[in-house]
Amino acid sequence: MPTIAVDAMGGDHAPDAVVQGVAQISLATDIECLLVGDERRIQSVLEGVSYNPEHIAILPCTDAIGMAEDPREAVKRRDTSLVVGVRAVAEGRAEAFVSAGNTGACVLACAKHFRLLRGIRRAALASVYPRQREHRGQDALALLLDVGATVRCEAEELVHFALMGGAYARRISKVASPAVGLLNMGSEEMKGGEVLVEAHRRLRQLPVVNFVGNIEGNDLVRGRADVIVCEGLLGNVALKLIEGISEVLYDLTNAAAARRVAWRLGLHLLAGGIERLRVLTDYTQYGGSPILGFEQLFIKCHGRSSARAIGNAVKVAAKAVRDHVPREIADALAAAR
Amino acid sequence: MKLGRARPGATPPAPLLCRWDLDKTYLRSEFDSLRSLLRTAFERAEDKVEVPGVAELIRALKATAERQGRKALVYFVSASPPQIGAAIRKKLALDGVPYDGIVFKDQLAYLKRGKLRNLREHVGFKLAELLRGRLAAPPGATELLFGDDWELDSLIYSLYADLVAGRLPPARLAPILRRIRVDPRLEGDILTLAGRAAGGERVARIFINLERRSPPATFRLFGPRVVPTFNYFQTAAVLGADGYLGAEEVARVGRVLLEGAGYTARRLENSLGDLVRRGVVTPVAADALGAPLRAAGVLPAADGTGARWRRVLGALRRLGRSGWGRRAGAAAGEAPALDYDAILDRGRRSA
Repeated sequence: MPTIAVDAMGGDHAPDAVVQGVAQISLATDIECLLVGDERRIQSVLEGVSYNPEHIAILPCTDAIGMAEDPREAVKRRDTSLVVGVRAVAEGRAEAFVSAGNTGACVLACAKHFRLLRGIRRAALASVYPRQREHRGQDALALLLDVGATVRCEAEELVHFALMGGAYARRISKVASPAVGLLNMGSEEMKGGEVLVEAHRRLRQLPVVNFVGNIEGNDLVRGRADVIVCEGLLGNVALKLIEGISEVLYDLTNAAAARRVAWRLGLHLLAGGIERLRVLTDYTQYGGSPILGFEQLFIKCHGRSSARAIGNAVKVAAKAVRDHVPREIADALAAAR
Repeated sequence: MKLGRARPGATPPAPLLCRWDLDKTYLRSEFDSLRSLLRTAFERAEDKVEVPGVAELIRALKATAERQGRKALVYFVSASPPQIGAAIRKKLALDGVPYDGIVFKDQLAYLKRGKLRNLREHVGFKLAELLRGRLAAPPGATELLFGDDWELDSLIYSLYADLVAGRLPPARLAPILRRIRVDPRLEGDILTLAGRAAGGERVARIFINLERRSPPATFRLFGPRVVPTFNYFQTAAVLGADGYLGAEEVARVGRVLLEGAGYTARRLENSLGDLVRRGVVTPVAADALGAPLRAAGVLPAADGTGARWRRVLGALRRLGRSGWGRRAGAAAGEAPALDYDAILDRGRRSA
């Protein structure tokens, strides 16, 4: 069973939610978790919940990076749970790292301590999100990358993202030949400027990528592509837009229910459908997003992650280790050369 | 740090009395449904499954006591009916467990009297039997008690320990027994037996096998005498640190888990780390156990620098200096008076 290091101090609800998530995983699976952080606080949470100590070790450290800290300055501190954990993975004491902490610091810590796969120039933060299925058997989740690790990209980097995303979807979502799309402002291949046109040309020529062409914003939530590639700035805006719309829909629903009895009655009739939508858009069940491109694995969870979300992220990390995701990416790169 | 070494020239240690619950402590009994209850009742000895490491632990306790020139007695006190006695005795024989007696609860007698509630009320029965056992035991015997987190073993054993220590006078005990709704007929017996058995601090440790994985914090109100453990390697390690087992015997229990229960050396190392973090075993004692256990292959071999284990112990020592984990090494002599009202209040809230 793989050993997964977990940042006990990262996230809005750390260490409680993180430790509780690991405790749940220790009872349900054989995954060994290495909790990194303030040992006293971790132990105090652990003793108040059910857990299996046989699957939990603690790597103590004294410092933690706040969610609002400047990432560049924060990763210089060597005894933070994030840096200690990432170094533990880099040294081979664990096989993957899970954190709900400061996203910028997570990406920088990886860049500082992990080794990029041969041929990869920039890492990508990928995010899984729910989308409409176009055909039976299609995965309910799509992968969008990059969502913030590399703000501006060259065409070659977008090609690498396509190869990395494809490899991840093949291993984790078990999609044999994932459809890869390039996020753009139009479906025509000449749209989007020099970088996107060049990326489109290169991707079309790659036999190892099932490239389906340009994808527009409205296609993001449809099932046209399993992997959508874009630069970090655009990906981050798109992802936050999807999350924002989902939240506004719930707020509107709640407001409507409070306003009129007839509307409340109508919503009551729709309760089953609304609940299905809630389950579909509930980020806690997707278990975090991978930072791809390194020899080591890093799963970044939502800052607001609950115990359940952390537990699912640990499971995803273990799956990525077992399924040799970095090797799959390296093989895809080699085949594309 | 004692680790089971006999001190030459010292007066012979007091006899050791080990008393075990049976179901969920020794045996992996299933009571979750009526069907599993019936299956357990009619199960053959060969089909009964013991908790991994328990048989080896009992053998090790006996062997170490003998090596130390001390008499060790092993008794089982079970609320199961005597009708399953034959299968249990055969199972213990199959496991090669040396024991000196078993007491069962005569459930049939309660049925005949129409006392259905008493079928499930075990506090009075167990308390009375423990006190009777104490009166029959060699004077001055030190006791180790073993139970689980399915019923009220931590409460029963703590009450017993405080009664024997003379910390719980009849005026305080009677209202507690009434709150637990102990059979009124037993109440008088218990009060009489308690008066006769009181003779000083005798119960050194109460081990609770966390079969249900109850949070260890649940047992905090019982004080440091009660030690919740997640597996019998943990129990063995605490007994090793207390001097009731040698490192070799602790290793033997660990090896049973490695060879027959799917454990890995890393899982056992994590178990030991958990005991240290909970303050049950001191970092010094864990360190002393660590080397021979590593040599025996029960814990993972130290890496080139032994960095991982040293880092953990270093952090724990720092925590120890800051006053955290003061429970480590606390034994019977340091046992504080328990607040049974608070314990019962909490039990009612969580019920």
